Amino acid sequence: MSAIVIAVVVLTVLALVFGILLGFAAEKFKVEGNPLTDQVEALLPQTQCGQCGYPGCRPYAEAIAGGDKINKCPPGGTATMEKLADLMGVDPEPLNATEEVQVKKVAYIREDECIGCTKCIQACPVDAILGSGKLMHTVITDYCTGCDLCVAPCPVDCIDMLPVEQTTKTWDWQLNAIPVKQLQEDKPC
Amino acid sequence: MAFKLASSPHLKVQLQTQTVMRRVILCALPGIAVQSYFFGFGVLIQVLLAIIVALAAEAAVLVLRKRAVLPTIKDNSAVLTAVLIGVAIPPIAPWWLVVIGTLFAIVLVKQLYGGLGQNIFNPAMAAYVMLLISFPVQMTSWSVPLVIAQNPMDIGLSLQAIFGSMSMEQLNSYKLGFDGIAMATPLDTVKTDLALGLTMTESLNKPVFADGFGVGWFWVNMAYLAGGLVMLKLKVIRWHISVAILASLFVCSSFGYLLSPDTHVGPLMQLFSGATMIAAFFIATDPVTAATSVRGRLIFGALIGVLVYVIRTYGGYPDAFAFAVLLANLCAPFIDYYVKPRAYGHRTGN
Amino acid sequence: MLTLLEQIDKGTLWRSHGGVHPPELKNLSNQTKIGQLPLANQYILPLPQVGDSALLAVKTGERVLKGQTLTSGTSFAYSPVHAPTSGVVTAIKPMPSNHASGIHILSCIIDADGLDEAVVFETAKVGALSNEEILTKIQHAGIAGLGGAAFPTHIKLRPASDIELVIINGIECEPYITSDDRLMREHSDEILAGIEIIQRLLSPKRIIIAIEDNKPEAIEAMQHALNRSHLATGSTRITAVPTKYPSGGEKQLIQILTGQEVPSGAIPAQLGMLVQNVGTAYAINDAVVNGRALTHRVVTVTGLNSQTPGNYWMPIGTPIQHILDALGFAGNLSSDKIIIGGPMMGHSLPNTQAPVLKGTNCILLPSQQEIADDDAEKPCIRCGECAVACPALLLPQQLFWHSKAEEYDKAASFNLHDCIECGCCSFVCPSDIPLVEYYRIAKSAIRTQNEEKKQADFAKQRFEARLQRLEEEKLAREAKAKEAAERRKGTMSGGDRDAVAEAMARIKAKKAAEQQNSAADTATAAPELDKKAQIAAAIARAKAKKEGAPTDDSSATAVPADDKKAQVAAAIARAKAKKAGANTAAETPEPQATDKKAQIAAAVARAKAKKASAKHTGTVDIDSTVPSTDKQNEVAAIDDIANDAIPSDIVTANTANTANTEISDKQAKIAAAIARAKAKKAAAKSATIDNQQPSMASDETLNPVDTNLNAKSLSDSAQESQQDTVQKKARIAATIAKAKAKKAQAKLQEKE
Repeated sequence: MSAIVIAVVVLTVLALVFGILLGFAAEKFKVEGNPLTDQVEALLPQTQCGQCGYPGCRPYAEAIAGGDKINKCPPGGTATMEKLADLMGVDPEPLNATEEVQVKKVAYIREDECIGCTKCIQACPVDAILGSGKLMHTVITDYCTGCDLCVAPCPVDCIDMLPVEQTTKTWDWQLNAIPVKQLQEDKPC
Repeated sequence: MAFKLASSPHLKVQLQTQTVMRRVILCALPGIAVQSYFFGFGVLIQVLLAIIVALAAEAAVLVLRKRAVLPTIKDNSAVLTAVLIGVAIPPIAPWWLVVIGTLFAIVLVKQLYGGLGQNIFNPAMAAYVMLLISFPVQMTSWSVPLVIAQNPMDIGLSLQAIFGSMSMEQLNSYKLGFDGIAMATPLDTVKTDLALGLTMTESLNKPVFADGFGVGWFWVNMAYLAGGLVMLKLKVIRWHISVAILASLFVCSSFGYLLSPDTHVGPLMQLFSGATMIAAFFIATDPVTAATSVRGRLIFGALIGVLVYVIRTYGGYPDAFAFAVLLANLCAPFIDYYVKPRAYGHRTGN
Repeated sequence: MLTLLEQIDKGTLWRSHGGVHPPELKNLSNQTKIGQLPLANQYILPLPQVGDSALLAVKTGERVLKGQTLTSGTSFAYSPVHAPTSGVVTAIKPMPSNHASGIHILSCIIDADGLDEAVVFETAKVGALSNEEILTKIQHAGIAGLGGAAFPTHIKLRPASDIELVIINGIECEPYITSDDRLMREHSDEILAGIEIIQRLLSPKRIIIAIEDNKPEAIEAMQHALNRSHLATGSTRITAVPTKYPSGGEKQLIQILTGQEVPSGAIPAQLGMLVQNVGTAYAINDAVVNGRALTHRVVTVTGLNSQTPGNYWMPIGTPIQHILDALGFAGNLSSDKIIIGGPMMGHSLPNTQAPVLKGTNCILLPSQQEIADDDAEKPCIRCGECAVACPALLLPQQLFWHSKAEEYDKAASFNLHDCIECGCCSFVCPSDIPLVEYYRIAKSAIRTQNEEKKQADFAKQRFEARLQRLEEEKLAREAKAKEAAERRKGTMSGGDRDAVAEAMARIKAKKAAEQQNSAADTATAAPELDKKAQIAAAIARAKAKKEGAPTDDSSATAVPADDKKAQVAAAIARAKAKKAGANTAAETPEPQATDKKAQIAAAVARAKAKKASAKHTGTVDIDSTVPSTDKQNEVAAIDDIANDAIPSDIVTANTANTANTEISDKQAKIAAAIARAKAKKAAAKSATIDNQQPSMASDETLNPVDTNLNAKSLSDSAQESQQDTVQKKARIAATIAKAKAKKAQAKLQEKE
C-alpha cells in the first residue's frame, strides 16, 4: 500500500517539477512571431502573381502556415511544392494548375500595338511596367517576374511572354544541349 | 560539321580502375604462392573457385539490375574480392563454404548496395565474418603447414577434401601435426594456451612456433608485405592506411608486452602472424570502404590497429582483422565528415 | 625568422598542394619564331569583349582603320574594342562566340580591304606622362589580361590598396602552349619596358618574374633583358619555378612564391600583391610607348593535327576557320576536337567561325591519340587521388557526389566556389569521371539559384513598395473626398438663402455684363467677363473638336457618338455581349467615331468577345469573334446591342443628349454618367440573373465611381466660377447618378 502511495507521490512531484520546468522554458525561450511563415515565404518564388488566390506571396505563406494547401503555386512548380511538403510535413500533392515546362519567361510588350491604356501597369504586382496614359508602355525585363498577370488585362493582346535568352554568362554548361543545327546556318566548311 | 564537345581537361592519366585492380591482384600473387607452398594446393583451389563464383554472381546480378555486364566485369573488382576471400578461407574448407561466402560478398554486400563504389563494407571481410559466425568449425580448421604435417596433402587430396569426398576422420588426420596433435593457427593456439593458464613462453615452445612466429605464417606475411611495398611504389595504394595500422598495432602490442610479457603476444609476432600484412596492404586499403582524406585515412588505419589488438587480446576470436576492418568501415563516413581538409584560402576551423 | 621580403630575395619557394605533371609537349610549337598570318577576308569582333557598358561608335557600311575604336563608353570598367585591320563594317549582328557554349553574341563584322591602313599612333615617352595619363592610355588601348581571363588591366593597375609585390607570370604551365615562352625569348626588352611602367604606376617593393624551369631559354633571355633594363636589381628578380601544373594559376603562384594563400573570395590585391601576365606587360609597353591598341596577340597553334605548328601574331577577331585554312589542318572536323586554350583548361570549340579573342592564347588541334578518349564514366571507387591532386585542397569526391545528386547547397558547403576548374581531379581520375564538368554545371546552377533568390527578394521588395503606395493613394483619395464633401456641406449649411441671393446677384451681374458685352464696351470688361469668355472659348473648342469628328447623317438611327457615349455603349455592350453572346450582326452603316476611338472600341470588343466566346461557345456570333471583321461594323454592332438591350436607359440618355445638343459638354457628360450608372445597374441585375462572374461585374463598378468624381468636381468648379442654370441641373444629375451608382454597388455587394 505504502509503495503505491510513494509511487503516486513521486510521480506527482515529478510531474509538477517538469511542468514548472516546461512552463518556465516556454516563457523564457519564447519565439517571437511565426518563423514558419518566414520559412514558407523563403521557399515561395516571390513572383507575387496571386495565382494562389492570395494577394502576393507573403499572404499565401501565412495561409500555408495556417494550414492551407501547398499546391497552389504554379510559378514555383513541383519543386517548390515538394519543398513545402517537406517543410510542413505533409504529403506532396499534384499542382492544381497544369504545369508547363519551367522556363523562365518575361513579359514583352509589342510596342506598335500598345494603345497606352495603363491596364497592365495596374496589373503588374512588382511595378515592372513603365508608361503613361495614351503613351506606349514597356516592360523592365530585369524586374519582371514572369507572373503573367499583365497578359489578361491587355485590351489589345499586345503582351507576349517570351523565354529569357541564354547568354555566355548564364550558360549552364549543358554541353549536350548545344544545338548543332546552328552551325550549319553560317558557312559550310 | 559536328565537333566533338567535351569539358576540359582533355588529357587523362592512363591509370584506369581496372588497371588499379589488376595491379593489386598481381601484387597479391607472391603472398598466395607462399601461402600455397606452406598450406597446400587447397589455397589455389579455393581462390580459383571464388573467382569463378564471383564473376558468375556479378554477371547474374548485373543482368538482373539491367546494367551493362562487360564493362563492370572488366573492372576486376570482383576478381579482387574473390582472391581475398579465397586466401582468407582455410585451404581444406569444403567447397560450399567459399561459394556461400563469395555469393554473399558479391550479391549482398556489393551489388545490393549499388555495385562498385557504393558498398559500405569490405565485401571480402563481410563474407569472412559471416562465414566465421555461421560455420565456426569449418572456418577455424586450418590445415597444418605442410613442412610439419603428419600427412602432407597433395593436389588430389586437396580436391577430395574440398569437394567433400573425404571422410571426417581422414580430414581430421590432415589437421594433425607430426606429433599427432590437432593444430590451429598460431594466434589461436596462443589464445587457447593462455586461456588454459600457460605462459607465452610455454606456448611458444610448441612445434607450430618452430620459427618463432608460427611455421609458414612469417613467410606468408613477408610475401604480402613485399607485394604491398610494390603497390606503394606503383602508387596503386597510398601509404597512410597501411602504415597507420602497423604502427598502431605495434605500439599497442609493445605496450601490452612490456606490461606483461607472459600473457601478451609480442609486437613482432602481432605484425608477422595471422592476417596482419595482407589486411594492412590488401584489405584495409580498399578505397571504397575506407576514409578518403589523408588525415581520415590515418585515423582509419590507427582505429583498425587498435581494434585488432583489442580483439586479438581480449576477444573470443583468434584473428581480428575482419572485425576490425568492418568496424572501421562503419566509422569511415563519420571520420570523413569530421576530418575535412582545410580548403585553399580558408582559415583552419572553417 | 626571415621576413617575407628577405625570403623572396633569397629565392625561397613554398610548396603548393596537389598538382599533376601532364606530358608537356611544348617542343612541338616553340622551335620557330613567332610568325605572321596572312590577312583574313573578314574579322569578327564581339562587342563588348570585356565589361558590359559600351556604345557602338561605328555604323554598318563605315570604313574603319586598323586601331580605330569600335565602341565608346565612359564607365570605369569600360574597355574598348578596336578594328584589327582596315576595312568596312559590313554587319553588326549576333555571331557564334568563342565560348564553350558557342552561343551567338553581338559582333561587329569587318570585311578587310587588304590595305591594312592604320590610324596614326601617338607615341610617347613614359617619363613625360603622368600616372593618370598612362592609365588612360592603357584603358583606351583596350588592354585586358592576356593570360586567358581577359580582365581589364587598367582596373587591376588602379588598386584600392598599396601593392607591395608584383608578380609577372611567365609560368605557362599548361601543356602545349608556348606563346609566352616565345614572347619572352623574342621580346624580352619590350616586356621589361612594360614591367617598368607597372613599376612606375604601383611602385611595389618587389617584382618577381616567375618562369617555369622548363623554359631555360626564356629565363636566360629575360635575365639579360633585366640586366639591360632600368629596373633596380635589388627589387626585381627572376625566379625559376619547378614545373608542375597548375602553378601558373594566380592563387597557386602566389602560394609558391610567397607561401601565402589568397583568402577565399578575395583578390590578391588584398594581400598587397598583383599578378600580371608577361603578354600583358608587353601590351602595356606597346600601348603606352607606341600608342598602339591591343589588336594583335601571340597565339600558339599546335597539336599533331596542325601542319605548321608554331606561334603567330594574330589580329584579334580572326576567325578560327581562317587560321585552319592558312596554317593547315590535318584533322577531320567531324571527329577531331579543336581546343581553345590548353588541354587542361581549354574548351572545345563548337564552331570554327568563332574569332580569336584577347584571352585566346592557344589553338590546339590534337589528333585523337593525343587526347583522352571520351570513355564512359565508371563508378567512383573513392580512391582519393583527386583530393591528392587538387591544388585548392578541396574534396573533389564529395563535390562530385553532391553535384551529381544536384544537392547544390551541400556542394557549396564543400567550398565548390573555390574550385579553379584546373582539371587535375579529372586528369587523375581512374574512373574517367568528368569531374570538372559536374562542377561547372553545379556552379552555374548555384549562380542561377542565387540570381533567382536575389530577383525574388527584389520582386518582394517592389511588391511591398507597390502595396504601400496603393494604400497611400487610397488614403489620399479618401482624404480629398472628405475635404470636398465638408467644403460642400459648409457652403450649403453656411447659408442656403445667402447662396440663392448670391446666385441671383450673380445672374444680375451677368446679365448686366452681357448687356455691356453686347454694347461692345471693352473698357468696362469685368474679370467675370474674362472668365466667361474663356469658358465659352473652351466649350467652343471642345465642340469644334467634336464636330471635327466625321459623322454620317444618312443613318436613320444615327446618334451623335461622343466620347463618353461610346464608352457607355461599349460598357453595356460588354455586359450584353457576355449575356447574349453577341448574336446581332451589323446591318446598316453607322455613325463613325474617330479612328482611334474605333480602334480602341474594336480592340476592347475583340478581347471581350474572345473572353465571352470562351464561356458561351455555343451562341457566339462569328462576326464578333473573328478579328478580321470590319471595325466600324463592330462599333455599330455594339451600339445596336446597346440599343436592343436596355432601350429605356438609352432612350433616357438619348433624350438627355438630344434635348441638350446645344448645351455644354458638361451636361452631356453628366447625362452620360447617369446613363452609365443606369447601365451599371442593369448590368448588375443581368449579372445576378445570368450567373455571370462576380469578378467581371465588380470590375465594372469602378467606372461609376470615377464618373461621380468627375461630375462632382465639374459641378464644384462650375459653382465656384459661374452662375449658370445648367450648373444646378448638373449637380442634381450628378447626385442622381451618384445615388444610382451607390445603389448598384450596394446590390453588387449584396450579391457577393
